[in-house]
Amino acid sequence: MAEELNILITGVGGQGVILMSELLGKAAVDDGLKVRGSEILGMAVRGGAVVSIIRIGQGVFGPLIPEGKCDVLVGMEFAEALRNIAYLSKSSLAVINSRKIIPYTVSLGLSPYPSYEQALGKLRQAAGEVVVIDGDRLARQAGGSLSTNIVMLGALFGTQRLPIKTDTMRGTIKRRFPKQAKINLKAFELGYQACQWKGAT
Amino acid sequence: MEQLLSIASDAPGKRLFLMGNEAIARGAIEGGVQVAAAYPGTPSSEIMETLASVAKELGLYVEWSTNEKVAFEVALAASVSGVRALASMKHVGVNVAHDAIVTASHIGAKGGLVLVEAEDPWMWSSQNEQDNRHIAEQAYLPVLEPSSVQEAKDMMAQAFQLSEEFAHPFIVRSVTRIGHARSDVVLGQITKERRGGSFRKDPSWLVYTPAGARRNKPLMLQRFEAIKRASNGFPYNQLSLAKGAELGIVACGLSYSYTLEALEWLGLEGKVSLLKIGTPYPLPEELVKELLNSVKEALVVEELDPFVELHLKALAHEAGLSTKIHGKDLLPRIGELSTRKVTEAIAKLTHSKLPLDFSKLDKLKEEVAPLVPLRPPALCPGCPHRASFYAITTAARRVARDYGEGVQPIYPGDIGCYTLGYTPPLEAVDTTICMGGSFGMANGLAHVVKAPIVAHLGDSTFFHAGIPPLINAVYNKANITMVVLDNSATAMTGFQPHPGTGYTAVGDKTTQLRPEEVARGCGVQFVEVVDPLEVEKAIATVERAIRFEGPSLVVFRRLCTTLELREKREKGEKIIPYRVDEEKCQIKCNACIKLLGCPALIRVGGKTTIDASLCTGCGLCAQICPYNAIVIGEQDNG
Repeated sequence: MAEELNILITGVGGQGVILMSELLGKAAVDDGLKVRGSEILGMAVRGGAVVSIIRIGQGVFGPLIPEGKCDVLVGMEFAEALRNIAYLSKSSLAVINSRKIIPYTVSLGLSPYPSYEQALGKLRQAAGEVVVIDGDRLARQAGGSLSTNIVMLGALFGTQRLPIKTDTMRGTIKRRFPKQAKINLKAFELGYQACQWKGAT
Repeated sequence: MEQLLSIASDAPGKRLFLMGNEAIARGAIEGGVQVAAAYPGTPSSEIMETLASVAKELGLYVEWSTNEKVAFEVALAASVSGVRALASMKHVGVNVAHDAIVTASHIGAKGGLVLVEAEDPWMWSSQNEQDNRHIAEQAYLPVLEPSSVQEAKDMMAQAFQLSEEFAHPFIVRSVTRIGHARSDVVLGQITKERRGGSFRKDPSWLVYTPAGARRNKPLMLQRFEAIKRASNGFPYNQLSLAKGAELGIVACGLSYSYTLEALEWLGLEGKVSLLKIGTPYPLPEELVKELLNSVKEALVVEELDPFVELHLKALAHEAGLSTKIHGKDLLPRIGELSTRKVTEAIAKLTHSKLPLDFSKLDKLKEEVAPLVPLRPPALCPGCPHRASFYAITTAARRVARDYGEGVQPIYPGDIGCYTLGYTPPLEAVDTTICMGGSFGMANGLAHVVKAPIVAHLGDSTFFHAGIPPLINAVYNKANITMVVLDNSATAMTGFQPHPGTGYTAVGDKTTQLRPEEVARGCGVQFVEVVDPLEVEKAIATVERAIRFEGPSLVVFRRLCTTLELREKREKGEKIIPYRVDEEKCQIKCNACIKLLGCPALIRVGGKTTIDASLCTGCGLCAQICPYNAIVIGEQDNG
């Protein structure tokens, strides 16, 4: 396919997955890029699995990423990253938050939950590279326990795979959170650095 | 300055990043809409939310109507008075408005009249995935179907003009992957004309007696024929014939975008002929015949039913063409299409090599499936419905014992967040059919089954469709208990106001209706209001209601947790979670998890704990713990 970058963000309802794609899309448009995306709202997100898609580039038409065509997968919750493994290929990168959110089906004994080793093993087989970050810890370090999504957005930029300028993204974050700009920019920087550091090792 | 641009800016040529539903609203603004009405429903709600947010600034009349039928009638009245009007709803809302819609097509339109209906292939947030092109055909209403968010905006703007040009209502058909897609959108010019409505008395046009209907149906058919002829020239229908092509693809609406990607992926661009369809009804027949004439085989790519496919087959037959027409033989009738599905279908017809070994991906999915947790949507931690369901089922089971051994209470349920109460461990929903269906089903059950019947619906649903079956229960003496789960919100669709909230769509104060007052006014003799988080009182109230001879109504009143948390955060109030006192907890008991299924209650390493990041401090689990082992204050994990 022609020039395109496909980003898939996965997580659990309430983690701010959709806000991440909204911010990404806004920044991309500010940088003059063509953007397509999609998400599911309504009943499906009440504590359920959430997937949000952002596609950037002249070659994109549809709102969905074909399986096997994801360039960067951002996993806000690592079992959810595993659920979407078929989108990955050997040329893709997965950036994963180590947070576990255990659904009630597991507490009721109705469902399995993977160990880190199982999940990461599978993801490493499927993707070219897997980076794991403790996004929740970094968010607390930035002063906002609700800012994990911004940490992970920072990590996404840390991969250096995005055609969006990092400064444009910072500006979009600042405008979106006029009162919480400082915390969120800190969260973004911590995520950005974490990803670089991991990438270097 | 880019950031000053808003949905209401008259800035033609500028680009904004919009959700599809925002783009549809923007299209309506560009098209000069003056009156807009809707009932919320996924995936349509953001259209009216967006219009409501700029209504005062732009001088529009925008309302949340009590249901879709009223919304459509509000728009129709504006149209016959010469004002441009819009009604929007989810696909099943069209069923509610259906009665008005079919006769409206006989009336036509004076001010441009557009119905936006948002379908939900794969039923992400719906009870079915009906294809409303059948309803459009039955009502003789033309359908515009966008292939992208940009086109949704453009079509919406033009739909008002088309409606006035042909004096006929138009439908814009959206789907989840349009309304909840996002895209950069190039803005157009805003129509600033504001008309005063004027109603002309004309019974020959507006009074549908049999004589009136007989007079107007032929006029309607004439209007429709004119639209059909014109559709060949609509910019949304585009034919590109490829020289020597044996295959022609007819791609409808959003499927066009998947088709473009599939052709590119297969390297078949310019090697097959392509007809983009933006009006599936009526079809641009001249373009269709031109395509069918030029190819040996055709593939219709459309989501849900073979609507265009069947029309194409009829057209080919009529024109004496032997072109082989494919569609649902190669593509599914259920769910959303995708680039992959379209790629596979085209590859089969063209004997092309697949660009990717899809079977490998399927194998990978199968491999990880046993590791991936089930994560169905669930009631939020702290949701008052969980407490209501606990009270309802506890009381109803107690009464059921008096009915005889093995008698199970029946819980007809409804459409909203509380539908999620069907899952274990609550299991408090036995039927979910349609809006208001809970009270309606309870009416019927009361006359055929001997068991406690407790039907429940939300406050918004009560006003939408709960009142006629409530009156029916009084009139026909149905011995049922009706429960209104009043969380002061249309929560599932994003907290839109409704008649029970005391606010209109644009935030103005209005009369606040109370379900308990409505019920008393309708003759229900047992009516009580209770806070579901006062667990013992709630159980006792439901028990008395069930034991009451005749229809009874209980209102469970407690603000939606999401709204409560939002309010607390805004006020800077701290949210104090509960924790498990390990010394008191009888680990094997597990009653809290087994009875409530709250996402904040988790079982880790054989111990029950509370995830403090999820707990909202509602205290329900603390009230039901038999060992008083759940106490306020965050868990100390060292």
